[in-house]
Amino acid sequence: MSYEAKRCGVQFSPPSIVLFYEDKETKHVRKRVMPVRNFSKYSDYSMAAERLKNNPRHRDYLENVPQSQLEKLHIILRDHMEGLSLEHSLASFRLDPDEDLNKLDDDELARKKGQMDELFEKNRRRKDDPDFVYDVEMDFGKTTQEKCSWDEESDDGF
Amino acid sequence: MAGDIGSIPELDQKKYDSDEQVKIICLGDSAVGKSKLMERFLMDEYRPQQLSTYALTLYKHTATVGNKTVAVDFWDTAGQERFQSMHPSYYHKAHACIMVFDVQRKITYKNLAGWYKELREYRPEIPCCVVANKIDADLKVTERSFNFGKKQGLPFYFVSAADGTNVVKMFREMMKRAVDYKQNPSDFMDEVMQELENFDLEKKEGNSEADEDALKAESPEVV
Repeated sequence: MSYEAKRCGVQFSPPSIVLFYEDKETKHVRKRVMPVRNFSKYSDYSMAAERLKNNPRHRDYLENVPQSQLEKLHIILRDHMEGLSLEHSLASFRLDPDEDLNKLDDDELARKKGQMDELFEKNRRRKDDPDFVYDVEMDFGKTTQEKCSWDEESDDGF
Repeated sequence: MAGDIGSIPELDQKKYDSDEQVKIICLGDSAVGKSKLMERFLMDEYRPQQLSTYALTLYKHTATVGNKTVAVDFWDTAGQERFQSMHPSYYHKAHACIMVFDVQRKITYKNLAGWYKELREYRPEIPCCVVANKIDADLKVTERSFNFGKKQGLPFYFVSAADGTNVVKMFREMMKRAVDYKQNPSDFMDEVMQELENFDLEKKEGNSEADEDALKAESPEVV
């Protein structure tokens, strides 16, 4: 049987991950509520996400839901348990290209990294992909070279 | 964190004096993809050794450079970059440096100047390159020229840890340059002088107890 994940979200009470998926055989879109057990504001969201993804009852449905997305949903649940608002959680994921990530603490940095990981996973070529090449070389040197605006307003070295 | 060079008990940096041992360090801001690049290059070999007390991750790799087998230790920061500065032992005896920025975040490019300055304070001569990571996010960036590396005469690579573009090429060339640097005898004296200088500086800063630790660190290797 095959399922296509469409959308996912959270439900705060009882704490659950919600998945809308299409059953590829019947073409019906269904909603699946997966309670998150033994999860508190002190829990490790990454481990909890992995546990859910590997749960024998849910794993077929979650196969094409990235781990990073499940982690994010667990973070939202955890924030809620800590009394933080949904707006707060969502803002903490937002990537601001001008933000200096060196200044964030571990938890805040992990949220941004999780966000970046989504693009990484999307573009990732894996070793078991049929078209995988270990040493991919591309020459960009000669073609264009329009000046980079990042080099303007320059201090030394740029 | 202990104050002096070479005082990482799990790690005897004296081994980097031997011909077959090379140390290559990675520099750059948080979340530019330094570990992802290591992972892509090493693939199955990817077994990071976390030295969390020192906010440091080590990757060991065996490479054939020319006709020689070389043991390469890649040093990666594990959050230490957040202090905008690395511990002197990070630079100690390094033979090459890979500086990484994220093409999606200008600040990581701008911060290269600071990283490069610090690198040259400790290692004025070692080969270094500039790596523009995450080009898979927007290939258009490869049409732009980033002058920072150019001005410093550093090789520049457009890479993607996600799809692998130029990752292996960059690492191979840097390993080769690290080995070449090591074998260049004219540079060798510079290196010795530099180590002595660093040692003196450290001595002035540290107390006598710390100096003893530095000597102890030369004892047998535990890694």
